[in-house]
Amino acid sequence: MNVTCNDRDSIFEDGTPAQWVALETHAATCPACAEQLRAWKSLSLAAAQLRDYQTSPSLWPRIESALAAGAEASNSPVSWWDRSSARLGSRFSWQLAAAGAFALLLLVSGGWLYRNQTSHLPTAASQSPLLRNKALGKVQHAEAAYVQAIDKLAADAKPQLENPETPLLASYREKLQVLDSAIEDLRAQTGLNPSNAHLRYQLLAMYQEKQRTLEEILETKP
Amino acid sequence: MGTMGLALPWEHRIPPVPRDRERRVEPFREPANPAGIDPAAEAARAEDSALAAACQAGDLRAYERLYALQGARMKNLARNLLGNSQDAEDAVQETFLKVQRGIGSFRGQSSFLTWTFRILVNTCHDARRKRVRKKEVASEDETGEPLRPEPRAPSAHPSLRLALERALAELTRHQRDVFLLYEVEGFHHAEIAAMLEITETASKNTLFQAKKNLRQMLEAPRGADGAM
Repeated sequence: MNVTCNDRDSIFEDGTPAQWVALETHAATCPACAEQLRAWKSLSLAAAQLRDYQTSPSLWPRIESALAAGAEASNSPVSWWDRSSARLGSRFSWQLAAAGAFALLLLVSGGWLYRNQTSHLPTAASQSPLLRNKALGKVQHAEAAYVQAIDKLAADAKPQLENPETPLLASYREKLQVLDSAIEDLRAQTGLNPSNAHLRYQLLAMYQEKQRTLEEILETKP
Repeated sequence: MGTMGLALPWEHRIPPVPRDRERRVEPFREPANPAGIDPAAEAARAEDSALAAACQAGDLRAYERLYALQGARMKNLARNLLGNSQDAEDAVQETFLKVQRGIGSFRGQSSFLTWTFRILVNTCHDARRKRVRKKEVASEDETGEPLRPEPRAPSAHPSLRLALERALAELTRHQRDVFLLYEVEGFHHAEIAAMLEITETASKNTLFQAKKNLRQMLEAPRGADGAM
């Protein structure tokens, strides 16, 4: 194989062993290439100066106790809440709390609204628009808190989604776009019919899916 | 590029350091086993899989083994990325904890070692970003985060190391990462590509650019004597 001075840079960048041998042969008769080759290799030799593999006697014991604490925490009978908090970090605790509270309130209030909508028997509650409005207000308040919590998660995941580095992140971004679109539609419908518990349940399911998706995205961040 | 004044005639003074931790064969060196399967690489792959499985099973001794095999290398990389031992040790510890927390999601798409080092590199970059944010909060004028190498154990060529560290601090983040992973830690381009989530070609190109830039920075001015 014959190489010329013009091949030098491409061999430096991505040369095969055979091309390197050919370059060495060429450099034997070309002072310019010999000098470049020497300088190029000298950087690799100089890099050895950045190797300092001294071990620190205190580091492993430190890591070991942290790992043991981590293992103990994951083995202890903790609640879903604790596990979720640990997985996502303490910064998401309040968001999970808000999500849980909203889900619970929506279930109770939604169930109540649904029962009163479909019931043929007149009850005191169904006859009282004030009571119904109160329950609806609670649902809307909790929903606002939940949306705020999800928005916070979305803000945390935003850097990963703006420039998705992997196909997985790109597909998460598309999924979130679909979910956001569905949420918008449902919100428009619940705006027209705020007491419709069925729509509220659908909206809750969408929010929960969005929350799960965002959590998965944040978990992909090493 | 002029090379007469290139301040890199170290190879005349530095004997080639045996790279006992290195598994890579330089393209300009003869491969140890050009044809056939490399038994050392096969053994390393088997050990990697076994280690990943043991860590997934929650065996703390597997983490100890990982530390015994890679701890010093991890700390060295972290120190070169962060500039001091204290931050490097914190980053290594944080990496082990992240490995423990995330091992359930490890699917073996890359090697366990590659995955671990990817976590380490990201942890180091997070640590650097945090330092920058702290500086901003403290209302300091500096906007960048220059590496401030701490004094290390005496080496054969302290001035060379210092010059390299300063030059490395001027590289882009990617160039620095690739140079350190390839030239200092001895990883293959395929491994670096998996760690940094780039292509193998991009890794090779980035290394080429990094070395070109380093040469420019380390090149003595024309007319200077060749004392350095």
